[in-house]
Amino acid sequence: MSSIFDDFKEGQKIGSGPRLASALTPVAPAQYPDRLKSFYYFSNAVHVSADLRYSLFQANGLRLPKQEQGAWVDIFTSYWKAVGELVRFDDAPSHASWVKVFEAWKEMANLLIRGYSSNGLQAWTVPCLYVVGRYLRIFAMKADAELSSQGSVAFDDRFQDDATADFRNAKLEEATRVLNRMFTLCLSDRAPIEESRKWGIYDTTNLLFKTYFRLNTVGLSKNLLRALRASSADLPDADAFPKSHIVTFEYYIGVIHFLEENYAEAEEHLSYAWKMCHRNATKNRELILAYLVPCHLVTTHTLPSKELLAPFPRLEELFRPLCDCIKKGDLGGFDAAMTAGEDEFVKRRIYLPLERGRDIALRNLFRKIFIAGGFDESKDGQPPIRRTRVPVAEFAAALRIGTHADERVRVDIDEVECLLSNLIYKGLMKGYIARERGMVVLSKGGTAFPGTGV
Amino acid sequence: MSSGIPPWRVSASATATTSLHSGHVAPAYIPVQARRSLTPAKATNPVPSSSTSPTSTETAARKRVEFPDAVRTYVQRSFAPEHRIPGVERSEMEAKLKSVITEAAEGNMLNKIDWETLPLPQVMVQNDRNRVLASPSVSTWGAFGTVSPKKSNGLSEDPSKKRKSVEYHGDASSCPPWRQTNNQNAFEDRVTYPSTDKRQKIDMKNPSKSKANLEMRRKRFEEPQARSGSSPSSRGASPASSANQGPVVGRCQELEKNYFRLTSAPNPDTVRPLPVLMKTLDLLKKKWKKDNNYGYICDQFKSLRQDLTVQHIRNEFTVSVYEIHARIALEKGDLGEYNQCQTQLRALYAQQLGGHPTEFRAYRILYFIHTRNWTAMNDALADLTAADKRDPAVTHALDVRSALALGNYHRFFQLYLDTPNMGAYLMDMFVDRERLSALAAICKAYKPDVKIRFITEELGFESDEQSARFILDQTSEDLLQEKDGVVRLLTGGKAGQLFEGAKAEAHRIVDIKGQI
Repeated sequence: MSSIFDDFKEGQKIGSGPRLASALTPVAPAQYPDRLKSFYYFSNAVHVSADLRYSLFQANGLRLPKQEQGAWVDIFTSYWKAVGELVRFDDAPSHASWVKVFEAWKEMANLLIRGYSSNGLQAWTVPCLYVVGRYLRIFAMKADAELSSQGSVAFDDRFQDDATADFRNAKLEEATRVLNRMFTLCLSDRAPIEESRKWGIYDTTNLLFKTYFRLNTVGLSKNLLRALRASSADLPDADAFPKSHIVTFEYYIGVIHFLEENYAEAEEHLSYAWKMCHRNATKNRELILAYLVPCHLVTTHTLPSKELLAPFPRLEELFRPLCDCIKKGDLGGFDAAMTAGEDEFVKRRIYLPLERGRDIALRNLFRKIFIAGGFDESKDGQPPIRRTRVPVAEFAAALRIGTHADERVRVDIDEVECLLSNLIYKGLMKGYIARERGMVVLSKGGTAFPGTGV
Repeated sequence: MSSGIPPWRVSASATATTSLHSGHVAPAYIPVQARRSLTPAKATNPVPSSSTSPTSTETAARKRVEFPDAVRTYVQRSFAPEHRIPGVERSEMEAKLKSVITEAAEGNMLNKIDWETLPLPQVMVQNDRNRVLASPSVSTWGAFGTVSPKKSNGLSEDPSKKRKSVEYHGDASSCPPWRQTNNQNAFEDRVTYPSTDKRQKIDMKNPSKSKANLEMRRKRFEEPQARSGSSPSSRGASPASSANQGPVVGRCQELEKNYFRLTSAPNPDTVRPLPVLMKTLDLLKKKWKKDNNYGYICDQFKSLRQDLTVQHIRNEFTVSVYEIHARIALEKGDLGEYNQCQTQLRALYAQQLGGHPTEFRAYRILYFIHTRNWTAMNDALADLTAADKRDPAVTHALDVRSALALGNYHRFFQLYLDTPNMGAYLMDMFVDRERLSALAAICKAYKPDVKIRFITEELGFESDEQSARFILDQTSEDLLQEKDGVVRLLTGGKAGQLFEGAKAEAHRIVDIKGQI
């Protein structure tokens, strides 16, 4: 039940960034639903600066260097304006506009950035940057939604030969430019590390990643990573940073690798995030797992257990049909499950790696053939050896079963050979095809299907 | 304000003022006390303001000039106390006056200028200052006070010669830099005006860069005036303003036009309106069929697209222009240009403007297979609707993608031989790469050898000779052997490694730009 001024005062007194940042949060806390309104109506446009100067400092008995004090007053003045635009959604909905909220909030973000860059705001206050950045992104998305629902904006007038492709995210793109300045503001701070804004680097980076993903411009993350790498020598080790920042950061790095099909690296970062993630952060754990499961399927050819997915019914629902088909070697079922889940998989950007699960399903199907082939007659009391020479025709028949093929459909032997050759090439099967004889010769001694016991 | 610097001054200023400073005139400038009338000034004032001045020794060397009465009245008016403008130093005014009259005299304009309506020098000084204030580039505002009375030695104050010092330091003090930036039309500083300016810019590079910059900047300041002023020439008429205010409406009737990248707002005189553009497209189609000259066609299409964009034309015609250009670029393997069209088409199709969306969605998938851009591929998949997926071309592209993802070369090359529309042009670009992948797999999986016929059939070659040549080109070793009258590929030994290496090499670089 603390007012904005209380939060500011306490934050400044005990030097708590998060507490200070809560003063700038544009959402009223549950136990004080009128907090924003009462803040807005405490002053008016003419007196707001003077009133703020009094309420933030004199009334609180706070003293800061003059420049810093001035910067805070400016920041809170623009915060007051932004809150005014927000309050309008309650008081005069017909005049309320997310575009205006966004513009006001952006103005404030810029003042905050200037406060750091030239007006001596101290580094411990960077949590303010997180809050302002986070809501800048949110307001930008609401503004874009508002604009596109009004159907406005069509052409931008830069001197381009072709109209730019995407107008739907104009405000969010504007927001990325501000967020980018926050990123630079943190990264380029040369103060000694104890009082450096460098501690804010991962949070601002995460915010930018998140926005780039939203804008479908994941490629731009490369620039951030390059900048980070260039100054990595000056950055403390990752474990010195707040865990929450690092977990998110590792998650995004993992996903970026994942999207480039570097599944080995992706798995490394995602596993790190998975292990570090707070156990109660169910939503985040679910997000990590949504990528980690397909990743694991590609790198280790293993499927998630029921226990692993138990706390995440949505993931269970998403992956289980596929997993069952892969296990059974049911190619037809697998294809059907892929088609059924396609929209969701594509939306989550996991379609492409999951598709590779078909190889595993195929391997399992062919393995069954191998096992059903039984044993060659043993000689001289030696332990029986599995039949390792399997006609291609048997695999063709298996394929017929696996794909639920109609009996009139002709199975193309060349294609069967091609599938076999792929499994061999990828190391899922060991052996070779003797084409002239129409025979597959598999390796002896329990290594025909590596890692599966036969 | 409206007239600003008289047009004749613009070109004359540089030469006129330098000649003024060539020595003998200078000593005459001595600070003078305040004056109420013209008469006592005659002796000391060097400004050729009246008929008496030629008698003074300093000016004797110069060509004698008879000043018309109008000029004299003008000078008189300049000194009249009621015309004084607070803030404009007397010395500044005098300097201005001098330069105005000297230039007029040297340009033989004394009788041609309408002295009655010409702004007084102090007004000009003020205008000059206002222009500086409007300039976005002034930053050294702290150094004001250079125009101090101490420096009333009129020489150094000559605004056209010492433009920099006077204008820069002059009055910016009254307007801090952060305010100045926004005064100007945001475009002004990026705009270089077409036609004449271009040549001047180049010429000016020669003498000195800073001087050229100076000149450019000055031109910029004048532009807004020129526009609102008397000259309705194409130069000032619309360009800068239109960029802000909406689409251009073209007036050009020529069918063909070379492409130039826009560096300024477009000029309606060189932009073709929609009916003309439609004729242009017909002409281009005919020319393409007849001459097949890609360089020319590409250039023409680019200017066509540019004209559409600047006029904000987005309709079915726009779609067909991009589609045709995309197809031509595909045919010629100009992927850079193709990709530009494809990106636009994606946005255009999203607006349901007609055209052939499925055909191009299929190309888009094939294109991302070629560039191996998986992130974009995911987006391309996300764009597909259920109806799209039933389209034969899209189905084909999706099958190609999935065949490659699973390494099913058998299926891939079947699809390759049966590609709808112009997709084969795209597939040609990555088919060799995929042949190497397939050969690497074949070498690992088949032992001890395979017939060359098998390779030819599986990998979509046209003949055994072609596949044999391909193998020999990619691997220097002699992997082919004739046995029982059949050529065979020996898959053992180093073969696998060799193809593996060639495959890695082929996958390493994808030339995305690939522009011709």
